[in-house]
Amino acid sequence: MVTETIPPFVPVLFAAIVAAVAPRKVGHGIGFLATAAVAVGSLLVPAGTYLTPRLFGFETVLYQVDDFSRMMGIIFGLIGAAAVLYAYSSEADGTQTAAALGYVGTSLGAVFAGDWLTLVFFWELMAVTSTLLVWHYGGRAVRTGFRYALAHGIGGSLVLAAVIWQYAATGSFLFSAAAGVVGPIAPALMAIGIGVNVGFIGLHTWLPDTYPSPHIAASVFLCVYTTKTGVYAMFRAFPDGHLWIAYMGGAMAVFGASMALLQEDMRRLLSYHIISQVGYMVAGVGIGTTLATAGAFGHVFNHILYKALLFMSVGVVIYRTGIEDITELGGLWRVMPLTFVSYLFGAAAISGVPGFNGFVSKGIIIAEAHKSVKNVVIGPESVPLGGEDLLWWLLIVGGVGTFMSFIKLGYYVFFHGSASIDPEDARIGQSVPMLSVGALCLVFGLLPGVLFEVLPNTAEIAEKYTTYTVPHVIEGVALGTAGFIGFFALKGPLSRATWIPDVDRVINPTVFYGGRVLVRAVTESWAAVDRAVVAVASSSLRVGANPQRYAFEGARRLPGVAVERADGDGDGEIDLRTSTGTGVLLVVLSLATVLAVLLL
Amino acid sequence: MTDVALPLLIAVPILAAVAPLFSSVLGFRAGWYAAAVTTAIEVGLAAVVLAAVYGGDRLVHPVGGYPAPYGIELVGDGLSAPIVALIAAVSLGVVAFAYTGGPRRNSFYSAYLLLVGGLMGVSITGDLFNMFVFLEITGLATYALVAADRSDRSAVAALKYLILGTMGASFFIIGVGYAFISTGTLNMVDLSARLAGSYTARPVLASFGFMIVGLGLKAAVFPLHTWQPDAYTYASDTVTTYISALVSTVAAYAIARVILTVFTLAFFEAAPLARWAVLTFATVSVLAGGVLAVVQTEIKRMLAYSSVSQFGLVVAAFALATPDAVLGGVVHLVGHGLMKGGLFAAAAILAATHGARTVDDYARLGYRSPVVAGTLAVLGLALVGIPPSIGFLGKYYIAVGAVRAGVWPVAIVVFFSTLLTLAYVARLLERLYFADPDAAAPVPEPSPDAPVADGGETEDTDHAGPASGDGGDTRTVRAVSSGMVLVTVLAAVVVVALGFAAPVFETLVEAFLGGVFS
Repeated sequence: MVTETIPPFVPVLFAAIVAAVAPRKVGHGIGFLATAAVAVGSLLVPAGTYLTPRLFGFETVLYQVDDFSRMMGIIFGLIGAAAVLYAYSSEADGTQTAAALGYVGTSLGAVFAGDWLTLVFFWELMAVTSTLLVWHYGGRAVRTGFRYALAHGIGGSLVLAAVIWQYAATGSFLFSAAAGVVGPIAPALMAIGIGVNVGFIGLHTWLPDTYPSPHIAASVFLCVYTTKTGVYAMFRAFPDGHLWIAYMGGAMAVFGASMALLQEDMRRLLSYHIISQVGYMVAGVGIGTTLATAGAFGHVFNHILYKALLFMSVGVVIYRTGIEDITELGGLWRVMPLTFVSYLFGAAAISGVPGFNGFVSKGIIIAEAHKSVKNVVIGPESVPLGGEDLLWWLLIVGGVGTFMSFIKLGYYVFFHGSASIDPEDARIGQSVPMLSVGALCLVFGLLPGVLFEVLPNTAEIAEKYTTYTVPHVIEGVALGTAGFIGFFALKGPLSRATWIPDVDRVINPTVFYGGRVLVRAVTESWAAVDRAVVAVASSSLRVGANPQRYAFEGARRLPGVAVERADGDGDGEIDLRTSTGTGVLLVVLSLATVLAVLLL
Repeated sequence: MTDVALPLLIAVPILAAVAPLFSSVLGFRAGWYAAAVTTAIEVGLAAVVLAAVYGGDRLVHPVGGYPAPYGIELVGDGLSAPIVALIAAVSLGVVAFAYTGGPRRNSFYSAYLLLVGGLMGVSITGDLFNMFVFLEITGLATYALVAADRSDRSAVAALKYLILGTMGASFFIIGVGYAFISTGTLNMVDLSARLAGSYTARPVLASFGFMIVGLGLKAAVFPLHTWQPDAYTYASDTVTTYISALVSTVAAYAIARVILTVFTLAFFEAAPLARWAVLTFATVSVLAGGVLAVVQTEIKRMLAYSSVSQFGLVVAAFALATPDAVLGGVVHLVGHGLMKGGLFAAAAILAATHGARTVDDYARLGYRSPVVAGTLAVLGLALVGIPPSIGFLGKYYIAVGAVRAGVWPVAIVVFFSTLLTLAYVARLLERLYFADPDAAAPVPEPSPDAPVADGGETEDTDHAGPASGDGGDTRTVRAVSSGMVLVTVLAAVVVVALGFAAPVFETLVEAFLGGVFS
């Protein structure tokens, strides 16, 4: 079967090369076909391990298919096709889409890798290709792209270090050699290295910094691949979960949603929501039960759909109006109904409104936090809402924050007075991917069984989790109600609190000036060493060139030593050449020393 | 029957040394031909010895049929064979160099052949007193050769060398005397057996001290080196090329013999202070020689002090007395002979063609004499220890030996010696290739009476240095032929080629090391 012999990254990277040189239309066409073929191929290919060459003397697996990588392949291919179509209609040029396809292809390489060496190889290439994608836009994106590259360079190095450590511990790079990352140090390195990619709090600053800056179509690509590949790798590294990672996920859910509430730049708001949503996935991976892991992957799948949809909708607004600040917009629902509908689908899905796909997967994770985590229990079980773990509360609060911020975004962009401008609605080539993806959000929400078919551990989810139960729906409705009340109650204070900065206000200058201090310190101290060495060398040469004169000058300055110039004037000299007599003296002294040492 | 090659190695040049004197009637060239034929025979004999030792043999020849320990033994083993080969090869090369370069007096070739015989004798004798005799032959011939330049400064240098060298030889014979008193034998192998058990006896310790200081003086280890820079600097360039390559080399070889064969490792174990004393001398010599070389302005003096430093390294290697270090010492001994001989030859050619005697004179000569300057650069870099070259091989083994023995000061000194060597070689390279064009001396008019191939048919007295117009420099070779350049280039090629010969050296020295470190 052809699907078993050609790893998915091959056609996509081939398409990337074509897109770089071919005319725009051809390049996008090939890109669309390649990504769509990957989605179909991933669905059809039987599970197994293919392409196992020895690279650099190590056993490697270039193409491994199991339920997890299959799901990643399906959704990466699907959304890749939608994004290529959207990019074509949004006037992205061929080079940019070539970079984007390179980015898609390397991400596919990473998720279909069967060993850490291949994974880290594609991981680094992902960072390179995505940086190129950002840089292509020029202007502000160059600076943000540079910070992006720095962050991912550091993260990738940590992952690489962890992989080497893993090899040293297990003697193999293969995933099958050990259950996740072993040892005392490697897991910490791995968690932090992947943490850069998934946006752990404190390591997240590159994300809201970079994603709003490039072309609108580039943002659609970016929001999909890096963080989700990170979640996938996190699962490979910690297949049994880890409590700290779970709590980090919960904290990210709250942090991302809260920061998003404060944003007025549309794509920046969405970027913070990536952190928040990835927080749910990380929490799912961290909890580590079969169901939680399945929920996390389901959330990856769903999130890719609705987040791409949201970036596409917001992208259309920017494309048509050129405005990125929500306070300058308003009332667009009348003039851009298609865009409004897509946004509505995306917002409903991300907030977890019952009937949309976000409700399904987020529900699984929250239910598992409720059921399986009893670590930091808050309040006794007797009081209402008592007896829940901190993690559960974090996820719930994050859910309320999500509702609030998407109500805010929708309110400001599409309502908020009447439209002062009259832009056109989305182009047909933008509407088609948007509405198709929006439809998928609804289908997977209404027919969760279809979704479960794609996810890993299908049987277990179907057995243990029922999506539409009364408590689940009540929970969703309650979150939504809380979100509405919260937003309209806090609208005034929120709009005045937008000055609150993120940690990048501190981190960026610290890194910049710290780096400058470090570079200065290194070069200056090297220059000092260099000056000292040159001074010593040149003075030695000066003395060496005429040692007799320097000996004379030195002796003249010694107190109690009287030296005379041989001929009364000119440079005085002392004869330093050892005479025969001195030579004999030295020889005798040496002999005496040796004999004294040996005999005494 | 191959052991007959051993006495022939000594006897042929010593007998042949008479030929130039008698053949003076045949013309001034006769001495050269005698020397050429003799050294060619020596190369053949050395090849026989080398092949036998490489095949695993240990050649022993009792002189006159008297068996050891009463008679004198000649021995060819893994330690002496490489030195014998080096002596033969360099002797032939320098004779070729001297055809055009001079000196041309027949008496010069007599002394030269005597020196060859003496060097061979030191290298293959198995008897301590016999070694002293050959050391004296070597010394006397060298004094004569240094003085052969007939300038006043070379005469003074030769006298200084004579006085100090005689002291060194005397110390050595005193040491031999103590050993004889203690054991009643002079055969090295026999001595080593009889010394066992009485290592800490005072006469034995004194014997070691006297011998080491005496030989250290001959090998020019700091601070016993004072004769050496003057002798190298003021001897004529051909002579310097020869003695720099070989004379100190056999002295260092003698140190190795005394340490490894006569006193053996057991002595170092019984008297660790002796080992530390030698190591201290050697490491100080490495550093002091290097520093002194860096500050020199005159090329020959710089190369002379460089030898002080390199011989410190070799002696340190033998005093470390581990298999790696001894192998490194032998390799570096051979390598240093080739490299330093080649460097002095290149310097001689540059002095002859450009009158260049100081570092500053070398400005931009890399563009005027590209071949010779290039050879000088290759040899200099090999001396630094840049692979592939025998210089790298030697230093590498010595460093490995020091590290494996855990003697970190020596390992660090090896590293520093590389830096110091780089410092003075880099000075030369910088002048040769990167000097400011203004610093270069004006191109001299080609002198009409300096033909390239041959100095003419006239019965020339000697040394009419063509390049130094002010008549002060009598050391300069008479003329430069393409053959001389070829010999120098050949030295560089061999130095680089031997950089790949690590397995050959290991095989060669293996049996000897097996005997020492059993």
